[in-house]
Amino acid sequence: MTAAALPDMRVLADGSTYAELTDELLGKVLQPPRWMKPALLVTFAGTLVLFAAITYTVVTGIGVWGNNIPVAWAFAITNFVWWIGIGHAGTFISAFLLLLEQRWRTSINRFAEGMTLFAVMQAGLFPLLHMGRPWFFYWLAPYPSTMKVWPQFRSALTWDVVAVSTYFIVSFLFWYLGLVPDLAAMRDRAKERWRRRVYGVFALGWYGSTRSWGRWRIAYGLLGGIATPLVVSVHSIVSSDFATSLLPGWHSAIFPPYFVAGAIFSGFAMVVTLIVPARRLYRLERVITARHLDNMAKMLLVTGWIVTYSYIVETWAAWQSGDEYERYTQLWMRPFGPYAWLCWLVIVCNCVAPQLLWFQRVRTSPVALWVVSIAVQIGMWSERFVLIVTSESRDFLPSSWRMYRPTVVDAALLFGTCSFFLFLFLLFLRFVPFIPISELKELKHDLAKEENHG
Amino acid sequence: MADPVVIEFDSPERITLAAAHLRSMGYSELEAYTPFPMPDLAEAIGTRRTKLPWLVLLGGATGLSLAYLVIWWTNAFDYRLDVGGRPYDSLPADIPIMFESTVLLAASTAFLSALVLSGLPRLHHPVFELDGFERTTIDRFWITLGAPTETGELLEGEIRFLREELAPFRPIAVRDARRERTSVLR
Repeated sequence: MTAAALPDMRVLADGSTYAELTDELLGKVLQPPRWMKPALLVTFAGTLVLFAAITYTVVTGIGVWGNNIPVAWAFAITNFVWWIGIGHAGTFISAFLLLLEQRWRTSINRFAEGMTLFAVMQAGLFPLLHMGRPWFFYWLAPYPSTMKVWPQFRSALTWDVVAVSTYFIVSFLFWYLGLVPDLAAMRDRAKERWRRRVYGVFALGWYGSTRSWGRWRIAYGLLGGIATPLVVSVHSIVSSDFATSLLPGWHSAIFPPYFVAGAIFSGFAMVVTLIVPARRLYRLERVITARHLDNMAKMLLVTGWIVTYSYIVETWAAWQSGDEYERYTQLWMRPFGPYAWLCWLVIVCNCVAPQLLWFQRVRTSPVALWVVSIAVQIGMWSERFVLIVTSESRDFLPSSWRMYRPTVVDAALLFGTCSFFLFLFLLFLRFVPFIPISELKELKHDLAKEENHG
Repeated sequence: MADPVVIEFDSPERITLAAAHLRSMGYSELEAYTPFPMPDLAEAIGTRRTKLPWLVLLGGATGLSLAYLVIWWTNAFDYRLDVGGRPYDSLPADIPIMFESTVLLAASTAFLSALVLSGLPRLHHPVFELDGFERTTIDRFWITLGAPTETGELLEGEIRFLREELAPFRPIAVRDARRERTSVLR
């Protein structure tokens, strides 16, 4: 691959030394910007709302939510699917693009991986709380119990537990392994003794010998290779929760690819939502260039079209199925029923808004791109809501139909997880080298080598 | 292994050439410390292929069989539960969990092997005590030489000889570092 395949990263081409490059990137962490403290405080306040809502829910019972029968999954599972979907882009960017040798990923991969971890943490809260008695969560594990009540491994819900926890652990290992050498750089560059100690402990004693680098590199590549099918599997399994049921609007073979595409779509949107302001506030334009924004915008456009195509196939298949319940759900109740406005919001946000990205001016304008990404976030959340709530609220028997309305506690949980997510993300920006430094230096070295030989 | 001689560079290109030159001179106990991975340099100092991928394969295979064993034992052997007349031992329904478990154990093995085979995690490493080592994570490239003689003693004039030999590669320093590691080599 030539340098032309790389976004114009001025930070690599302006002749700065390795030390200057390191100091520029470490400086972002060592000298935090002034807005950091107030931002941390605000998001922490929001996090307190989350914990208040959780406490109230656990102490009182999930009757405080708007859930009813038949709408038993409602807000909790909507939020779960939405958050876990967002958590897909990080590992997708890191692992998939690593395997494809897309070197532009280097500036944004750690950022995206951090986002993944924090999103999966939010996602994990909802099924736990939705159990109603979260202190019995360990019943999901095959622990040796005198009651001999084993988990039912043929159920998609059990697959879900395994898939999500595996995804969290593997994403964490991938993120941390990449981080170790940069934590060592942090340890060696920090001036205060306590900082050297703390980063020293987290750097695990990394000494950067050629042999350990060799192992590191192979392990990192293998993790990338292993994590790529994992990304695809997680949302496929989440979609099985729906697809293996019999409800009209859920019982559909297109769900796994449709969910994965939606997940990567919303994940890329979240990366854009976070990276555009961070790039501006941290003055990262030299590292995260207009080309990066352009590439991410193109990914949004592509995955947006896959999602749109899935909507079309879903509707087409409902029509062709000849099943009257399926037809009612897809062709009448969703677009014209009680939640119709949300359904059309989905179409506008997920199918129409991304079409703006055909224009290069939108793709390279941070503000316009950010607005589109927010539209996609709203659209993807509404899509999950429409998918879950409409099918549940009107199934086969009109006598069992019931409307669903979320309560204040539901809203507090959604708002609270958004705050908690941002709070964790800010802590990450505050304490962790969020641009991969050793990888950028390696890239710089490779580019220099190619120039000499080419 | 004592590493008494430290040769410091500020260029990744020149350290690779210097390492190849040292090898051709017969120095076989070489180690290098760099701020980023350098496969060329690893080749130049003569590292063997790591067995890490095989360990990962083993980890994955363990995960696969363990998952099947647990599912079979619990659902098809220890406490059979008839769910809609489906077979007790239904492999297709086991695939998702077997896959996830394979990934989990393979990934954990990759992570742990990358650390453990390099002697990590550790709080301290003898090489940290050498002067200026902290710059090897930033912008310095080091080669350390094992003692060239069997007694572990530096030959008289060895350092001077190395300085002359390596001069074309413009090292920043070629120095005898034994005294810098007081607490370790005592």
